Amino acid sequence: MESYYTLIASLPPLPRDFDDGPIPITAATLWHRLSMLGQRDREIIQQVSDFFRWDRQPRDRSDAEIRDTHRRLVSEIRHPLVARLVNHRIEMRTVVAALRCQRDGLPQPEFPELPLSVWIRRHWDEPCFRLNHRFDWLSRFCQALDDDQPKRAQWHLFTELWNLWCRLDDHYNFTFESVVLYLARWEILHRWASQDEQRGRQRFNDLVEDILQTSR
Amino acid sequence: MDESMIEMMGRVGVYAPLFLGAIGSILGCAAGGQAACGAMLDVEGGYGRLIGVSALPSSQTIYGIVVMLSMNGSFQIQAAPGMFAIGVLCGLALLFSGWFQGKCCASAIHATKSKPEVFGLSVAPAAIVEGFAVFAFVFALILAGGLPAAAGGS
Repeated sequence: MESYYTLIASLPPLPRDFDDGPIPITAATLWHRLSMLGQRDREIIQQVSDFFRWDRQPRDRSDAEIRDTHRRLVSEIRHPLVARLVNHRIEMRTVVAALRCQRDGLPQPEFPELPLSVWIRRHWDEPCFRLNHRFDWLSRFCQALDDDQPKRAQWHLFTELWNLWCRLDDHYNFTFESVVLYLARWEILHRWASQDEQRGRQRFNDLVEDILQTSR
Repeated sequence: MDESMIEMMGRVGVYAPLFLGAIGSILGCAAGGQAACGAMLDVEGGYGRLIGVSALPSSQTIYGIVVMLSMNGSFQIQAAPGMFAIGVLCGLALLFSGWFQGKCCASAIHATKSKPEVFGLSVAPAAIVEGFAVFAFVFALILAGGLPAAAGGS
């Protein structure tokens, strides 16, 4: 029986909301702490991390490429929680991609192999593909796009992910799943913080100030 | 059942509170200790109280020693089945209380790390679990006292 008490107790608490305050742990320290995991767990954590890295996709990635990656991930991932995270994220991306194509009057994209894809194809001409009840963030997301507020739209997506992963985390206590969910939420924090130019500049200035004071 | 078998069961009953209580303490202190070590990587001070909390499940072993000594004092073959029952059941209660107390301690350490002002309250669940171990310990002594020719019984 693996024990995760040391690792989980060594991780600083994450903020209540992803847009509330600085990232409590740097990437280097986080990965240093994660090195306490055993080989098998490290492989799973690597899968999660690779997925999130892939998720920050370059814009030139084709639909077919995304579809292939999804197929590969489904065949590779064995851990049920990781599979759930990946599946949820892919579903979200699929809806968002479909929504953008629909709004721009483009043809249907190549969807990944999901039951949701069949639903979207069937309801392509309807507003929000009649998915408002299933994805309650969708109407807020669409509203933000209507208002030409892409950052606000992104905020709604991250809020949905953050809240879901926080709720899931309540079910686990000092287990490997807690580690996976910590990493997943840290990734959201990191992505959101990296978009905040003003806070980045402030952080840079603070660091320079700290170094100058130390050297005096 | 032959006499040597009955005696063996009685001896198992005598040693069980210590044996099982020690296993509970091992599991509990290991959980609490690992959490304390992890927390020490993330805090700048107050290490002593983290380690102090992690040692709370040690008491189960002490209760086990006391129950074992009280039953071993006047071991008689007539009391062996009763000793087996009391010893094993008391030991199991000590084992689980130690184990789960350790989990409570780990949670207390985790909570204290991010919110030091809740230290006192966060230890309360571990103290409550300790209370159940004390019940098991005290009533094991009382019941063992009622056994024929054991622990001062008639």
